[in-house]
Amino acid sequence: MYNENLLNNLSFKEYRLDKLKKYNKLQIPKWKRINLQDFDIPDYREYNNLQLPGHEDLDIRDMGTVKEDINEFTRYLRVNEEFGVDKKFVTLTEALSNSGVIIKIEKNKRISEPIRLDFKMDNDNPLLLDHNLIIAKRNSELTVVMDYTSNTKVFHSGVTKVYAEDNSNVTIIKLQRMDEDSDDFDSNIAIVGRDAKVNWVSIELGGKITASSFITNLKEDNSKADLKSIYFGDKDMEIDVQYKMNHFGRRSESNINTKGALKDRAKKVFRGDLDFKKGASRSKGEEEEYVLLLDKTVKSDAIPALICGEDDVEGEHAASAGQINELKLFYLMSRGISESQAKKMIVEASFKPVIDKIPYEDLKEKVEENIHRRLIDEKS
Amino acid sequence: MEKKKRTYIADIQRGIYDQKNEFKYKYKSEKGLTSKIVKEISREKNEPQWMLDFRLKSLEIYNSKPVPTWGPDLSDLDIDNIVHYIRPDADISTDWDEVPEDIKKTFDSLGIPEAEKKSLAGVGAQYDSEIVYHNIKQELVDQGVVYTDMETAMKDYEDIVKEHFMKLVPPNDHKFAALHGAVWSGGSFVYVPEGVKVDIPLQSYFRLNAPGAGQFEHTLIIVEKGAEVHFIEGCSAPKYSVNNLHAGCVELFVKEDARLRYSTIENWSKNMYNLNTKRAVVDKNGTIEWVSGSFGSKVAMLYPMSILRGERAKAEFTGITFAANGQYLDTGSKVVHAAPYTTSNINSKSISKDGGYALYRGLLRVAPNAHGSKSTVSCESLMLDNESNSDTIPIIDLKNDDIDIGHEAKIGRISDEAIFYLMSRGISEEEAKAMIVRGFVEPIAKELPLEYAVELNNLIKIELEGTIG
Repeated sequence: MYNENLLNNLSFKEYRLDKLKKYNKLQIPKWKRINLQDFDIPDYREYNNLQLPGHEDLDIRDMGTVKEDINEFTRYLRVNEEFGVDKKFVTLTEALSNSGVIIKIEKNKRISEPIRLDFKMDNDNPLLLDHNLIIAKRNSELTVVMDYTSNTKVFHSGVTKVYAEDNSNVTIIKLQRMDEDSDDFDSNIAIVGRDAKVNWVSIELGGKITASSFITNLKEDNSKADLKSIYFGDKDMEIDVQYKMNHFGRRSESNINTKGALKDRAKKVFRGDLDFKKGASRSKGEEEEYVLLLDKTVKSDAIPALICGEDDVEGEHAASAGQINELKLFYLMSRGISESQAKKMIVEASFKPVIDKIPYEDLKEKVEENIHRRLIDEKS
Repeated sequence: MEKKKRTYIADIQRGIYDQKNEFKYKYKSEKGLTSKIVKEISREKNEPQWMLDFRLKSLEIYNSKPVPTWGPDLSDLDIDNIVHYIRPDADISTDWDEVPEDIKKTFDSLGIPEAEKKSLAGVGAQYDSEIVYHNIKQELVDQGVVYTDMETAMKDYEDIVKEHFMKLVPPNDHKFAALHGAVWSGGSFVYVPEGVKVDIPLQSYFRLNAPGAGQFEHTLIIVEKGAEVHFIEGCSAPKYSVNNLHAGCVELFVKEDARLRYSTIENWSKNMYNLNTKRAVVDKNGTIEWVSGSFGSKVAMLYPMSILRGERAKAEFTGITFAANGQYLDTGSKVVHAAPYTTSNINSKSISKDGGYALYRGLLRVAPNAHGSKSTVSCESLMLDNESNSDTIPIIDLKNDDIDIGHEAKIGRISDEAIFYLMSRGISEEEAKAMIVRGFVEPIAKELPLEYAVELNNLIKIELEGTIG
């Protein structure tokens, strides 16, 4: 099924062939923290829902329409290190992406209005393997919003590679609002240049299995990265999020701030790594996770690791978990608000700062409505 | 960017710890590990059949398990080159004068007999594979407290030993627990009867003198309902060019309302693989307190574990790890909250310098029935140069919503502002740095009995002595 024949009419053939060989050698992973056993990758299907947004100052292309085998983007496709949720899913998408967008912003261009990419999945498009390249040249500024939705059970494996060259500022806002039976594997990597900054915003709401990975390589001096994320798990959802900041450059700075809520039988694993490589002197990293556990039956794992090969750094992480603060709850209830209403308000309030990062009113409302609806059908 | 000045710290002169005695023994097993050697050890100890069976079963498990690869590199550890059993040229005694001169001298310079007179209620001293001295104050004997070596306990309290021995750390737990089950020798047995409070600490000291040898002592402590005791474990060895191995096992049973404090100052030489397993199970309202200082060893994998199985049981862990040149110290703590309203409090500090690798690896698990449990974990690392490494990998695993968990970790170097401030008050740079390091470990030092706090400060002083560059 996943063989060379599928590559016939695709771009970057040589690159894809190489990845396909690797893909075929790899096993589908087994994960124990969230239960991934005997997983089957569904058959290849075309994806035809991509609509390219236009912008006069940007080079935006459909990955599938790039015909020359080797071109200016080839080098950006190659990432010489392991990244992502798992090699199997990453190589699958790298070999056989059926969609994907290349966005390039030239140097000194600053575009304030965001670029919006909607990845809609449905019965006719139940498989999305999107491979995206976002290239910000020197001294540029860009915001991209990627919204993944489905109205039925679908499979998504995405790879997004972000290059923030010197002094650029790139914001990537990812929303995952897929159907509750869907499986989502999303791998992201950013390479950050001198004085450049990458801002990640990740909102994980849907899926049955949701695995996402955001790796940021702070390659050069003064590079910065900021990651804000929220997740909400209910029913039998299984969420595995990985955030990794690799500090190479001197005075590089990173910040990870994650908030989540779990109810019903939801399971979650948070992996947050701050890795200070030797030579990354005077770098700073901070990491914080807070999860609200709304039911007895949830399961929450956190592995916040600090890895340090350089002494002249400041690294800090904190992870905490608990029920809703009783004082807050008591205060709200003393004002005549019911317990379930009060809990809902507290969860929503803790998510608010991240949701406010979404630059579109309609999307913001949809996200708020999604969380609100799932919090409300509480038994009480 | 201007290059920062760094403290250059010379490698540690370990003084008394490095005194070697001539290698004398009554009996030693061949190098390596075979069922023949295991049978010989058992025969030498004149053990009951069940223990021999247990040893042989453990050996089977040992052979079936792979060497763990998730931690430090153990490929340099060659079990076939380790002598697993050495009976020293001395019999167990309750009188220091009967201990052979060279062995007594070693313990003298470590200050053990002196401390016994001043501040300990009982002392055990192990030399290579066997205990050479064991004594306890008469008034404790009168209250029914048992403090003896494991070999004697095997004979005099066989039922209790059989009921508890390697039940908490079964041989199939991991490869080196199985190794311990097969070749264990020496160690201490403590039994504190119901309601007895032992005010002054008991201490066992483990000394490995032989080169290329292994020490596999077993410590079993049972603290009955409402009883209290403080047990101190010390270990050291002179440095040899061949690898030594320490795979001891500590099993602690803390019953209802009981309290046990278990303190360790480990200062093995830097040719030692310290693969020790320590575990405590705590019943209702009981408390286990771990105080752990890891200074020595080439490679350490040490994660004392507390299983809180009774309601309102409590665990406290205070640990410090100091990794210098050539050391890879992978230490941490594990806590399992297996009953409601249990609490744990973990406080770990690590210092790395001169290429040393200090790693905190922790596990905090809350079982579905452990509602109302609370835990705080705090890890701090201090790196003295950028040749060194310091990692923190805590795993938090929660299966209950009614809990209160907090974890924090910090990593960094001695802040320039703090040094500047102290120097502006007329304190030299060297002294300022030493003060900051002492302040950093102070929370640990104050948990130790005075003599050990002094030893800890000495060790740090030795480690920090050097030129400012």
